[in-house]
Amino acid sequence: MSARRAIGGGGTLLAIVALLSGCATSGGGQPSGTDILKGVLSGYSVGGVNVGAAAGVAMSANDAMREIPEPEEIQMGNDIAAALLGAAPLVDNRAQQVYVNDVGRWLALHSARPDLPWKFGILDTDSINAFATPGGNVFLSRGLVMQMHSESELAGVLAHEISHVVLKHHLKDIQKNATKNMALDLASLKAGGLVGEAAQAVARVGMEGFVRGLSREDEMQADRLGVVIAARAGYDPYGLPIVLQDLAALPQDESAMGQFLHTHPAPTERLAALEAIMPASWEAWSIANPALAGRFARTFPGQGVAAAPAAAARPAAQKPATPSKPAAKAPAKTATPKPVP
Amino acid sequence: MNVKVSMLALAVLAATGSTLAGSAWADPGTTVRPVDLKAMPASDAKTVLSLPKDAPVDVVTRQGAWIQLKSGKTTGWAKLFDVRLAPTGGPARASSNSEALNLALGNRGSSLTTGVRGLDADMLEKAAPNPAQFAKLQTFAQTAAEASAFARAGNLKSRDVAPLAPADVAAPATPGAAK
Repeated sequence: MSARRAIGGGGTLLAIVALLSGCATSGGGQPSGTDILKGVLSGYSVGGVNVGAAAGVAMSANDAMREIPEPEEIQMGNDIAAALLGAAPLVDNRAQQVYVNDVGRWLALHSARPDLPWKFGILDTDSINAFATPGGNVFLSRGLVMQMHSESELAGVLAHEISHVVLKHHLKDIQKNATKNMALDLASLKAGGLVGEAAQAVARVGMEGFVRGLSREDEMQADRLGVVIAARAGYDPYGLPIVLQDLAALPQDESAMGQFLHTHPAPTERLAALEAIMPASWEAWSIANPALAGRFARTFPGQGVAAAPAAAARPAAQKPATPSKPAAKAPAKTATPKPVP
Repeated sequence: MNVKVSMLALAVLAATGSTLAGSAWADPGTTVRPVDLKAMPASDAKTVLSLPKDAPVDVVTRQGAWIQLKSGKTTGWAKLFDVRLAPTGGPARASSNSEALNLALGNRGSSLTTGVRGLDADMLEKAAPNPAQFAKLQTFAQTAAEASAFARAGNLKSRDVAPLAPADVAAPATPGAAK
């Protein structure tokens, strides 16, 4: 293919542009690969020279870092979400999933991107982790949800993930790493074949991003924005610090934390950063909310409000795990309040 | 008597279903700085006991920004950030994450089924798309109207909150005993 020869070293960049554009079109009609390429190139100009007309020679890195239109971002995120769900399925509990979607959507309504097609899911894995894809897909692992005792803690973690989406952290990471690493070249441009392959290639870069992790500053920024979103949504904004305090007490090794430790700053470091910026005036928002406590405890039995006897709170390490038995976690005085109409 | 006051406060909190941290009940911890324990979860409440840095405490409960501590026979409230929880006793090298977690979490009793054990790098990188699961995910999505109704039922009221700037100076060092 002559075009391939002509672009030489710029092939990767061109392929990425085609890829990203391919994502956008996959939701609608099915233009051929060459149509997509033509469309993308004709829309690009570098220094006044139309790239398509110049056979795509002078692409710069800035072109690959263009602002990706929202529909493309959403399609890309959905492709990554589908891939992630190939790694771990959803917990088979509709009530829990809808609950997490209610909390998450309410939080997202208080973000700068309230109208994305937000979707939230609990992944059925006991690893501790959370993921956000571009376009508004947010996932928590079952292992992480098991750490939580309240809706404000759930909100704190969801708001952190929502912040990654709002700030386009993963989107920028994908763009950056796609330009560096993607091996796909124009040889894969077969008529009608680009869309599927492009989508998979982008999803692969996104999944690699979950393994690689975002930058430390991205994580700290998501903490800073996350507590603000939680506060704006009416939650006690100390939910995220409480979860981090618990995570800091877990063995800081792969047995409990897995990938999470590789991809996030240490919980103690994040706690210290939050302490430095959360205003004392926010402490007034740490008040009891019976309506929230009741519905969290109903949705996640055995995890919510509890005042267990001291002896039962921290079993000896030798004690076998019996997850089917809530044990002494729900004494009478924590009886579920009446649902709020 | 101060202890009585704070225990009463706790009882009220518990009875009204506050966000108590069940697993932290009487969990051991240490102060990360000198701390004045307060009779109530408020900065202007009376100080019932002054603790030095690295003082061993038992965590009674947590309430947002506040954490209730017991030292000897005295109970009082400190800031959440004043305390580091002692490392949980989960085995450092469990045969599976699930085992470690169940131990670490005090056997919290999740009713969820078992899915993937460890979600490791290899699984993430080699995952094949699962369109059926993605379709299922979409069925859980809630509209803005549904989420707003959910918020009303939870007495959640939107607030005006200014963004937070990054701290100018490096974050204060927190001793990393959990490492």
